[in-house]
Amino acid sequence: MVRIKNRYIAVQIVPHTPVKTLRLNDHTVAKCLLKYVEKYYGVYALGILEHGFRVKYCNDRTKIAIIRCLHRGQRYLSSILPLITLIGDVRAKFRTLYVGATVIQCNKFIINHQRQFLDRMMGQTASAKERQDLFKRVMELDVDR
Amino acid sequence: MNAYCYFDVQLKIRHCDTIELTPTYFRGCVLNSLEGFFGEIGGKTTLEIVRFSVEQRRVVFRVPEEFAQRTRTAISLIGHYQEVPCHFQVLQTSKTPLDFDKELDDTPESAQL
Repeated sequence: MVRIKNRYIAVQIVPHTPVKTLRLNDHTVAKCLLKYVEKYYGVYALGILEHGFRVKYCNDRTKIAIIRCLHRGQRYLSSILPLITLIGDVRAKFRTLYVGATVIQCNKFIINHQRQFLDRMMGQTASAKERQDLFKRVMELDVDR
Repeated sequence: MNAYCYFDVQLKIRHCDTIELTPTYFRGCVLNSLEGFFGEIGGKTTLEIVRFSVEQRRVVFRVPEEFAQRTRTAISLIGHYQEVPCHFQVLQTSKTPLDFDKELDDTPESAQL
């Protein structure tokens, strides 16, 4: 039995012009990343990376995504993240927040990060219902899709 | 000092009269293959042609040692030269300079560029 080592990269998508939502889904992010890997490291790296590659989580509101890749292809992915300036049709860049070996560790980090984001955003909401909605949207961490 | 790896390769092609084999075209062919397979970052290297023979369709070139493996892979994967199906046969690789001058001298009608 061979153990498959994965790496989970938590990234923040920073848009060029501040917007509330990016209208990006996990499929767009995955397509964009693979396109840039092929551009900078060729079909060889794409072949290594494609196996086991998946965007596990993509939150439009907090602009945070978790990308899973195989341990041996992680270098190719993490090194091109700073070079990306266009995600889908949106002018934006990636900011690497955390690289973990398990999704649990990654989730812990994301929860902490989003809690800090909530603390900042709660002050800007007027009604209690809006706050509840914001809390729901921000803290949803459905990585089992 | 940079260490180099020398390659002695021969172009194997069926219809040789339809192609134009020049050092520049050959270099472009290898660099294109390198870039296609290893990308803009992974496939950029300096490739210097040391010896070139059109008659024998044989080239000796050198690349930095760290790119030797990638270059070998890229050369093996070349399937077309100027849109004509072909392949490159790697005759010899070495860390010391290679030369096919002696072999060319044995055949007097062959010319060397």
